[in-house]
Amino acid sequence: MNSTVMKKSLYFFAVPALLFYLLFWIFPILKLFQYSFTDFNGFATQYSYIGFSNYKELFREGTLGESVKNTLIYTFISVVLGNLIALGLALILNLKIRAKGLYRSLAYIPTLFSAIVVGFIWSYVYMPESGLLATLLGKLGIDSGDMNLLGSYSSALYAIIFVEIWKNIGTSTIIFLAGLQTVPNDLIEAGKIDGASAWNLFRHIKVPLLATAITINVTLSLINGLKAFDYPFIMTNGGPGTSTNTLIFSIYKMAFTEQIFGKASALGIISFALIIAITAVVVVRLNKREVSA
Amino acid sequence: MKLGAISRKTLIHLCITVLLVVNLYPLVIAFSSSLRSADNMTNPIVLFNEITLSSYKDAFARMHFPTALLNSAILTGISVIAVVLLAAMAAYPMARLKTGLSKFLYLFFLGGLVVPGQMVLIPIVQMMNSMHIPSTQFTPILLFITCSLPFSTFLYTGFIKSSVPEEVEESAHLDGAGLFRRFWLIVFPLLVPVTVSVVITQGVWIWNDYFFNMIFITQADQSPLPLAMLGFLGDQQNPTQWNVLFAACFLCALPLLVLFAFLQKYFVGGLTVGSVKG
Repeated sequence: MNSTVMKKSLYFFAVPALLFYLLFWIFPILKLFQYSFTDFNGFATQYSYIGFSNYKELFREGTLGESVKNTLIYTFISVVLGNLIALGLALILNLKIRAKGLYRSLAYIPTLFSAIVVGFIWSYVYMPESGLLATLLGKLGIDSGDMNLLGSYSSALYAIIFVEIWKNIGTSTIIFLAGLQTVPNDLIEAGKIDGASAWNLFRHIKVPLLATAITINVTLSLINGLKAFDYPFIMTNGGPGTSTNTLIFSIYKMAFTEQIFGKASALGIISFALIIAITAVVVVRLNKREVSA
Repeated sequence: MKLGAISRKTLIHLCITVLLVVNLYPLVIAFSSSLRSADNMTNPIVLFNEITLSSYKDAFARMHFPTALLNSAILTGISVIAVVLLAAMAAYPMARLKTGLSKFLYLFFLGGLVVPGQMVLIPIVQMMNSMHIPSTQFTPILLFITCSLPFSTFLYTGFIKSSVPEEVEESAHLDGAGLFRRFWLIVFPLLVPVTVSVVITQGVWIWNDYFFNMIFITQADQSPLPLAMLGFLGDQQNPTQWNVLFAACFLCALPLLVLFAFLQKYFVGGLTVGSVKG
């Protein structure tokens, strides 16, 4: 279309949204950068610049390493397991069966609950002795005794990752299902006539055509995982010890509980750089695959 | 062959049922427990062995349900309307212009997805304190809007590109309509499908958010539903009353569950418009 219809003045339409971005994202991130070199405590009006001390301290004490490790485990497991389960569920729900719509709606229900409600309900599931899991095991004759999934160093992180996966399966399944519906039936039929096995049909016809859905689901769950905050905050308060401290939870704790804004800002800047780097690498790789598939 | 087909179908149904039962089991148990009285909480896996609404009455009063519901509706309503208007507008130039700036804006807006809200909150709270802007019930709306823009502009841009042909604007242009009228009278009305999608995807998270509300809202009578939930977790002195807590959980989820029951296809379809299909 000629440029008299689509003029540059169209850009004015983006101004209001840009203002929100500048005020509530760009400006705060720049401020964060500034605070990260200070000993600002959040309310005192006087603070001084202390160079890279905050950063040095973070690298020295191990909070950073612990939080990065926890966040990466959280992200990796929730992305891989969450998407595999959702894809499996979508493949089953895509079969020609009755009551498909009902099943789909039921699978979607957990996504409607607030994270705070989900956190409370799962705290009850994991509760030692009288909780749901302990009672169930008891009925099966298994003595769960002192099993305390949220209270033990080795299991707490995995217990909350499971909740994250549970909460998001509905959304990913629906997106995979929509992707599967774009797979033309005659392509599948042609494959069958050529004698392709179920696995080959899946690998060479469905997966390439699911590329968009995979990209969306992996990207969203990746960002979700890297920004993990809700369940450490609601269910474990980062504990026991620091075993469920994710990056964002550590920032929150430093800033709002311990009132060390300067150090929290430094951790914020490091986390932000890390989140951008990981997301960029994964998204670029996924896009390349999508194009070549 | 016929028999094989039948048993295969049964197997599939069985498989799905097992998956869904496992999936929904915690919710069913919580629901069953919410219908019990406080002294009947020892055996959670016997379903619906008592049905009383006493815990619901308790939770209803303690969370000030009508007020909290209204607060949730106001917060979500204002935020979602603002997001729809701002995101649709911002997407328009990104979908129509093919310059470097347009591409940059698209990535810039999408890039907002990776910004953690908890992180930017530190300077925002500080900025508001130093400017003596009191935080009100409406302050979280600003953050709801900002956090909703990335995904919403992404959906709108994709939809305008794929489903609103430029030709529809040409005749309006020839009739002498300005850019402003062309967008609001011609383009915007055609965006209904993707607007439904934006309203549902963003409305659900905003409705369910507790975090921004927790930071800015300090008065009980201004709390939306998820924030009102915070008071139900006990401590050493007052152990959690699980039946009341569960009742509060379901009261909190009730409005969305009711909406979902009636508008299922929009919820399910809304997730995929403009992303997978478009």
